[in-house]
Amino acid sequence: MDKQNRRQFIRTGIRWILFGGMALVAGDLIFRKGEPLFGKNRKSGPTVWQLDPAKCIQCGRCATNCVKTPSAVKCTHAYSMCGYCNLCSGYFKPETKTLDTGAEKQLCPVSAIKRTFVEDPFYEYTIDEALCIGCGKCVKGCGAFGNGSLQLQVRHHLCDNCNDCSIARNCPSGAFSRVQLTDPYLLKGFGKKNL
Amino acid sequence: MKKKTILIFAIMLFLVFVAWMLRDLFMVRPELQKNPYDYGMTALRKTDTVPSYTELSPLKPVLREITSVAGNQDGKIYIAGKGGVEILDVSGRMLKHFPIRGYATCLTLMPDGTLVIGMEDHVELWSPSGNIISVWQAVDTNSMITSVAATQNLIFVADAGKKIVYQYDRYGKLQARIGEKDPVRKIPGFIIPSPYFDVGISPKGELWVANTGRYRLEKYSMDGSLLTSWGEASMAMEGFAGCCNPSNFTILPDGSFVTSEKGIERVKVYSPDGAFVALVAGPEAFDEGTRGLDLAAGSNGRILVLDPSRNQIRVFVPDKRN
Amino acid sequence: MRHKTVIVFILLILGIFLPSVMGVQRFPKPEFESGYVEPETQFPVPRAEFLAWMDVAVLLLSLSLATFLVLKKRSRLGVFWLSLFSLAYFGFYRQGCVCSIGAIQNVTLALFSGSYTIPLTVLFFFLVPLVFTLLFGRTFCAAVCPFGAFQDLVAVKPMPMGAWLNAFLGMIPYLYLGLALLFAATATDFIICRYDPFVGIFRMNASFGMFLFAGVLLLSGIFIARPYCRFLCPYGVLLNWLSRFSWKHMNITPAECIQCRLCENACPYDAIDFPQTKKDPAGRRKQVNRLILLALLLPLLVLGGAWTGGLIHSTLSGVNSKVRLARLLQTASVSKDQPEPPEITAFRSSGIAQQQLMAEVATIEHDFLTGSRIFGGFIGLVFGMTLIGLVRTPYRTDYVPNRGTCFSCAKCMDYCPVIKS
Repeated sequence: MDKQNRRQFIRTGIRWILFGGMALVAGDLIFRKGEPLFGKNRKSGPTVWQLDPAKCIQCGRCATNCVKTPSAVKCTHAYSMCGYCNLCSGYFKPETKTLDTGAEKQLCPVSAIKRTFVEDPFYEYTIDEALCIGCGKCVKGCGAFGNGSLQLQVRHHLCDNCNDCSIARNCPSGAFSRVQLTDPYLLKGFGKKNL
Repeated sequence: MKKKTILIFAIMLFLVFVAWMLRDLFMVRPELQKNPYDYGMTALRKTDTVPSYTELSPLKPVLREITSVAGNQDGKIYIAGKGGVEILDVSGRMLKHFPIRGYATCLTLMPDGTLVIGMEDHVELWSPSGNIISVWQAVDTNSMITSVAATQNLIFVADAGKKIVYQYDRYGKLQARIGEKDPVRKIPGFIIPSPYFDVGISPKGELWVANTGRYRLEKYSMDGSLLTSWGEASMAMEGFAGCCNPSNFTILPDGSFVTSEKGIERVKVYSPDGAFVALVAGPEAFDEGTRGLDLAAGSNGRILVLDPSRNQIRVFVPDKRN
Repeated sequence: MRHKTVIVFILLILGIFLPSVMGVQRFPKPEFESGYVEPETQFPVPRAEFLAWMDVAVLLLSLSLATFLVLKKRSRLGVFWLSLFSLAYFGFYRQGCVCSIGAIQNVTLALFSGSYTIPLTVLFFFLVPLVFTLLFGRTFCAAVCPFGAFQDLVAVKPMPMGAWLNAFLGMIPYLYLGLALLFAATATDFIICRYDPFVGIFRMNASFGMFLFAGVLLLSGIFIARPYCRFLCPYGVLLNWLSRFSWKHMNITPAECIQCRLCENACPYDAIDFPQTKKDPAGRRKQVNRLILLALLLPLLVLGGAWTGGLIHSTLSGVNSKVRLARLLQTASVSKDQPEPPEITAFRSSGIAQQQLMAEVATIEHDFLTGSRIFGGFIGLVFGMTLIGLVRTPYRTDYVPNRGTCFSCAKCMDYCPVIKS
């Protein structure tokens, strides 16, 4: 009986030590950095994955590595940066002579870009998200020759927000990072520095 | 006995899973994947044409974030950029350096030696010794001045924001707006999809403008009539590639044109009537993605190319054997 | 359904955060004469924060209910239905992210990294089941963890495996945990999530390889009940140890054990400790000798493990993408004919100096050397302790659940004929 009691006592002691340990870890994680726990500037809110278009090199892995098919990364069109070019290098394959919407002339492997006439000589380009696979081919063409208004972004209504994003793991340029839920998108701006 | 076989089988299955995990973690190398969606930029940047120019050692200005270069036939080289102007001699030795307030996007020399500097939204005149002569009013809201050109009495300002060229007298008085869409005068207007919009004055005193959205250079009379144009869109060496090129040009003393392109970075020479003559430097000479290769004619047939990516003035001379 | 709510949120929130995205001055677009109005770029919002807190609330509630069902109600049926709910909610609705198992890595990364702050909800997911286990045993495993629930469904013909097999396969979770901690602490990767066999099934979407191997694991799970929980789960290691010191743990019998042996085959996880009452002085002497030998061997095992860890540290660090990039840069000049790997293209366009990368990589390699030694020593210790555990036969009179390995699933309770008076 005495042995039983002693065992019980040790067990209780260790239990309290373990509780203490967990409290220490929790306290350290919550308070160490001295960041606010509430309000707009806190960093302890839920995070989402963000793709930084400034770092992106359009390697095509967003299309092949996402756990979702098609990928939750899609081409996002920042219309306010678009030149509305007739010869859109994000829409046409290089070396295309006659500029019409023939499928064989389109750069997009899934024909997810729609070209609409606006007025001479301007055309509007819209992305059909249901088709887009996030391969970044158009982003490469638009970025290399044009204004870079086509950019890859994680579309958050599609993203499963995996704890270990499989695109982030395979991204060769480290363009993925966890950001606070409050600022989920990041577009590469067209500041004056780009002149 | 049968039970034991099943158990061993199950454990083997489990171990297969563990072994696969370890193999995937330590053996598989994702970087060997080929991009099935490659745009083919590498192939596009390869050219068969051999440059007919040789590169001399580049000039390295002290100024950072350089944006524009101008040359003088006496060999002096003028460079503008963030917060300053720098003047080099033909060997690259710094003759003068003076600060300016703001970000200079372009500069040119008037025949009398006055420096015309385009800031982001207005124009300033400076003496070569670094004294400010005049600061003009901001051109317009939404302006983005990308190039200036000057004759004896007139100064032309290309505004990529408003997609128009302004003609001023040398005191900053607006004389005319050139290139506005006008069906009556058969002027189609400038299509400027990106902030590259260059103007130049030929030795004969003619005004040339790069209408990048139409992939051509256009000649205008001083009263704004479109006289002629040349150039076509093509990835081939003779044409201007991709969206909105040529990004910059300059005119040599003999009236030939030197053009630069973004996307596929190349600097080329065209005859005064627009026929392709020679390649000065191909994509392999530049970092991929270099934009805004400003050009100037140096002394002795030199071509000066401002390389914003490397912050250098690259110098090219014609090959002797040609 | 979810998409409709999302669209409503877009409309509500678009106005609030659009300016921050569009604040940069940029090149003016063409001035259209036809009155064309450019469409607005759409930014669908992510899952709202209150939903993350709802997950925490569901976790708390289902844990409380599980504990109540096991300890008070002693209802296997209740536990079963709750586990189905958990499978539906945490598995198929929440699609397995974030889970308590994976949260180990977030906690580790947050402890070791200066830049990563752990979301409070994730911290709760990590801590709440630990606290419950320290109080009531592994009721989390019984009815809250979707992985357990899923494997229980396929465990059609579980077979007893014997002490030795259980002990040796039982070392794999320690290995897995050790590696996961090492890779999380060095900000290399979250391998627990990477090799999560069930998440692909929850999402009905994964690579062919992942499906194949998940199938292989589930197939083995027909005969080995809960193979992931017993022989892989790294969180299970923590729960195992906390459960040993739990305040109130479930018992097979509601009152006194009557040694009826009806529960002997009740546990599909071999988690019932049988009575050990044999008094055999000669055997006992032999056992004490073995224990002394093993105790002496233990430091050697730890040292040997640490030494081996040091030897394999560069294999381990090869998982880190920066280390891999550095190694790629050193070998890249050899193979000029092949197309350049995108890693190198990206590195060159980033403008980071090679020396800076190399210095960074040297630090990472050093961390890996230290980490691998600790990892190796830890594995040596686990090996030694496993051997000791096999030799030791503590005196016991009744059939009791093993506090470490018992999942508190309440399956054995139905076998006990004793009725509480």
